[in-house]
Amino acid sequence: MVPLYMYLLVAAALFCIGVFGVLSRRNAIAILMGIELMLNAVNINLVAFWRYLKPDEINGQVFAAFVFVVAAAEAAVGLALIISVYRNRNTVEAEDINLLKW
Amino acid sequence: MVFNTDVTANFWAVAPEIALAIIGLIVLGLDLYSRESQRRDVGYFAGFLLLALAAATVFVPTPDGSLSEQLVLGGMLRHDQFTQIFRTMIYIAAALTCFIAMGDNRMRYKGEFYLLVIVATIGASLLAGASDLVMVFVALETLSISLYALAGFVRDDARSAESGLKYFLIGSFATGFTLYGFSLLYGFTGATQIYGPDGIGQQLAAGKLNDAPIIVAMMMIVVGFGFKISAVPFHFWTPDVYEGSPTAMTAFVSVASKAASFAVLLRFMLAVFPPEKLAVGAAADYSELWVPLISVLAVITMTIGNVVALVQKNIKRLLAYSSIAQAGYALMGVAAIATTDGGQGAASVAFYMFMYILTNILAFGCIIVFANATGSETIADFASLGRRNLWLAMFMTIALLSLGGIPPAAGFIGKFYLFRAAVDADLILLAVAGVLNSIIALYYYLVIIKVMFVDPSPDEDKDIPMPANYAWVLGAASLAVVLLGTVLANPVIDWATQAGLELFI
Amino acid sequence: MQLENTGVSIVSAVLFSPLVGVLVLLFWPRLTDKQVRIATLINTLVTFAFSLLMLSQFDSSKGMQMEQVDEWIAGLGIYYHVGVDGISIWLVMLTTFIMPIAVLASWTGIEEKVRLFHGFLLLLEVAMVGVFVSLDLFLFYIFWEVSLVPMYFMIGMWGSKDKVDFFGREMEARIYAAVKFFLYTVAGSILMLLAILYVGNKAETFDFMLIRDLMRSGQLVFTEETERLLFVGFFIAFAIKVPVWPLHSWLPDAHVQAPTAGSIILAGVLLKLGTYGLVRYNLEFFPNAAIDFAPYIGALAVIGIIYGAWVSYAQTDVKKLVAYSSVSHLGFVVLGIFAMNSAGIQGAVLQMVNHGVSTGGLFLLVGMLYERRHTKAINAFGGLWKIMPIYSGFALVIALSSMGLPGLNGFVGEFTILVGSAGSDTLDIWYTVLATIGIILAAVYILFMFNKVFMGPVTKQENQELEDLTWGGNWYELSALVALTVVIFVIGLYPKPFFELMDGAVGDLVAQLDATLQVAMK
Repeated sequence: MVPLYMYLLVAAALFCIGVFGVLSRRNAIAILMGIELMLNAVNINLVAFWRYLKPDEINGQVFAAFVFVVAAAEAAVGLALIISVYRNRNTVEAEDINLLKW
Repeated sequence: MVFNTDVTANFWAVAPEIALAIIGLIVLGLDLYSRESQRRDVGYFAGFLLLALAAATVFVPTPDGSLSEQLVLGGMLRHDQFTQIFRTMIYIAAALTCFIAMGDNRMRYKGEFYLLVIVATIGASLLAGASDLVMVFVALETLSISLYALAGFVRDDARSAESGLKYFLIGSFATGFTLYGFSLLYGFTGATQIYGPDGIGQQLAAGKLNDAPIIVAMMMIVVGFGFKISAVPFHFWTPDVYEGSPTAMTAFVSVASKAASFAVLLRFMLAVFPPEKLAVGAAADYSELWVPLISVLAVITMTIGNVVALVQKNIKRLLAYSSIAQAGYALMGVAAIATTDGGQGAASVAFYMFMYILTNILAFGCIIVFANATGSETIADFASLGRRNLWLAMFMTIALLSLGGIPPAAGFIGKFYLFRAAVDADLILLAVAGVLNSIIALYYYLVIIKVMFVDPSPDEDKDIPMPANYAWVLGAASLAVVLLGTVLANPVIDWATQAGLELFI
Repeated sequence: MQLENTGVSIVSAVLFSPLVGVLVLLFWPRLTDKQVRIATLINTLVTFAFSLLMLSQFDSSKGMQMEQVDEWIAGLGIYYHVGVDGISIWLVMLTTFIMPIAVLASWTGIEEKVRLFHGFLLLLEVAMVGVFVSLDLFLFYIFWEVSLVPMYFMIGMWGSKDKVDFFGREMEARIYAAVKFFLYTVAGSILMLLAILYVGNKAETFDFMLIRDLMRSGQLVFTEETERLLFVGFFIAFAIKVPVWPLHSWLPDAHVQAPTAGSIILAGVLLKLGTYGLVRYNLEFFPNAAIDFAPYIGALAVIGIIYGAWVSYAQTDVKKLVAYSSVSHLGFVVLGIFAMNSAGIQGAVLQMVNHGVSTGGLFLLVGMLYERRHTKAINAFGGLWKIMPIYSGFALVIALSSMGLPGLNGFVGEFTILVGSAGSDTLDIWYTVLATIGIILAAVYILFMFNKVFMGPVTKQENQELEDLTWGGNWYELSALVALTVVIFVIGLYPKPFFELMDGAVGDLVAQLDATLQVAMK
């Protein structure tokens, strides 16, 4: 059987890739994808912990299910916002979204 | 862990949220089925119902006594006075937001705006009582997703859409961190419940685990909550979102989301990383780690917030930086919880948020009236407001004095209580930093007052109209700010103290 | 610790009667400017009547009396606790006496936003009386802070129309003065807030009487270092307000820019909040630190006396001259306080009242001249005695009282202070010698100014037409001056009752200080 830490390593790598994507990408949709990767890393963590530590309780699985649902809702609102920005400005590049600046 | 299984107690614990959901459905129905001309009444309807709910919530009974009595719904929520006081203030904030949103023609006839406010309120309200990682997460997201939509509410205004998108991207990025921290906590303990002998807090305190990963988890969670309360260095979304969003939404995000986040931060830190006196047979006291961490955050937050506020030209941006600084003051109370015996830390934050909600909504309400009449949000354009509409200038002055902490406005007692909590917790240097910051802050509040009353303006003769219904709302809020600083201070402080004490059961 | 609630005391009536006026001015639908003035005048006179009633009930054999305790913010251990003793009662009397005069002084001077101005005036009265009568540190601090806000607006909105250069930008001088006044005072008072919080934390109460009992009975003792820090926390707040040299730089600006009524109140009462605080809190709570610091503070006071007098002499603007003379006069008060004996403190308290009356009078006189001539420059005048004999007569009395001529009130106060400082255990004899030089300098600058403005021939054409005081034409100016002059003569000729009423409170304080001194000397 694959040991727990392998799963955790994959999750951590995925999380880091997500964070890197958010910080380095210029396109709002790509940033959104980075965020989704971070949430997926969390899900891998949750499910792996549940399977290896407390397989007889359901709270880890439930948590993961909630993360799916919420991530879907979040993506829906996020894409809607991206569309509304695109309609106004004809761009979703982070550098061009600059009406507000200190 | 034993939970309260009494049906009545469980019902009362979520009765306000059930009521909120019903109000939300009614608002939705009214919006769908009423004629265009009647639609403006939807906002009043929502506002008055929320206000009534706030009043009713005060009388909702909480199970008293032990922790196991107060944990309801299988440990998802804890129903104590702490939950109650934060809920009540969030409902007041939501009600006032509905009232002031009605002055803005872009929201006035849109029932969905009020619906989103109510849904966000449900999230905030659950967040105040959440005592399980799953519940914290779901409530946090219910609040946040509604707020993203609210920030981008005015779709054809490029600035509103942009602030919505920025808020969304940064907010969900922060959520990612919080969640990763949560998943680690679950991994260490196998529990999602934060209270109880087999909950996360007591397991961590038993000291059987390696410190390093716990610290990583703690850091990640602090980062996530730091974004929510706009603590420096996680504050950079705040000015953009405050400036770009519709002002009513700005008012709401600056108070309700902040109050709920402080509630969960207080409860979470105290329960998950308990100080020695809360942990049974403690071997590891993680509060020794997070108290300095939060103290440093508090000092940086208030200093940066105040210093950057000094140079702002746009009133909403200025209030954004001022609200960052205010979060810094409130963080002093969070830092003080671990070492104060009587829960003064939590109580002072609760009182501070109570007064801050009223004050900030008052300030933003004044800005809406002003912006509607003049179309400007620049501080210099506030010149001669005292001559153009004396009452509006007076309301704004009360709000600014309260934010600056000058009696008899409520802000003074709020600050006093926070400083006192910090001194009681032996965080004298933190209190000194807070005190010095209040002096810096006074300067820019005073400058606005000066601009309003003294500076000449080319439009001096043009009166600024204030609709009567608006005058009532702002007048009532001003009166509330002054009363909370004088005769009403006692009952609210008693309540906050009670709430603070119950966190230590 | 718990306090029993008591019934309503006359002190509360004095404290809150101006608030009635504030509410009337805020909410009464229509009032002409004249009605506003009359209403405010009546309100202040009624307050003065209440305070006279309070004085008549005062029992000099007792210490703190006419106390009222009510629960306020019980959760934080904060009570509404007010009362007066032989020290504070005189400052309350001074406040209620000066306020009608301030109203009369703005009878014609204030023409814009009359209602708001008088509202602020009355609010200020509540705050100032509140500082003197509160016996709870929190309550005291609230009133202390509240007193800033109306004064800030009075200077900022109704101040002079001058401009100043502020880092290369032109700026309204009154705004500069108002903001400077506010920030200086707040910066000091916030340090005091920390000290109050610390004391409250250790004593577990904010009540002045309880803390005093705890300290006297030795149940609440601070280490030497803590006591010094706390002393400094309180002292800086009060020293800025007094102002003690070198923290005085806000004062000339604020005085010169303020409207006449603002200057009268500032000089007459607001500065006394600081000296009162020194007596009530610094000496009472931290006697050991006070003894340690007394020589240094005495030195600052003496420097202030001489510096104030010297700079006054160099002024070309009458109002600035009077403003700097305040620095000098209050140096005497501080010297008296830190002589820490009975004569010093009694003289200091009386001198607070004297300075309020005579400097308030001087500002009133300057304001009248300014309204007639629209200038405050000394060399714009000359020979006024010939044109305005009645005005000049009053000016002579008030100027001589400020100078400390025997037979008038200033002499009694300053002389008693010098007696105190000469016999002091904390201050060397040199302090007294140098302070005496200050008195001589005061004579020089006052007489110099008086000579230039009032004596000699009328050199300027514009001055020929100046209107003198008559009951028919300007009763409000004349009545204000008459009231001031009466008080000047009463205190000057028969000061005994004033000292007698102080005896109980000052004796009590001095007994404590003596005991501490005895220990310290060993």
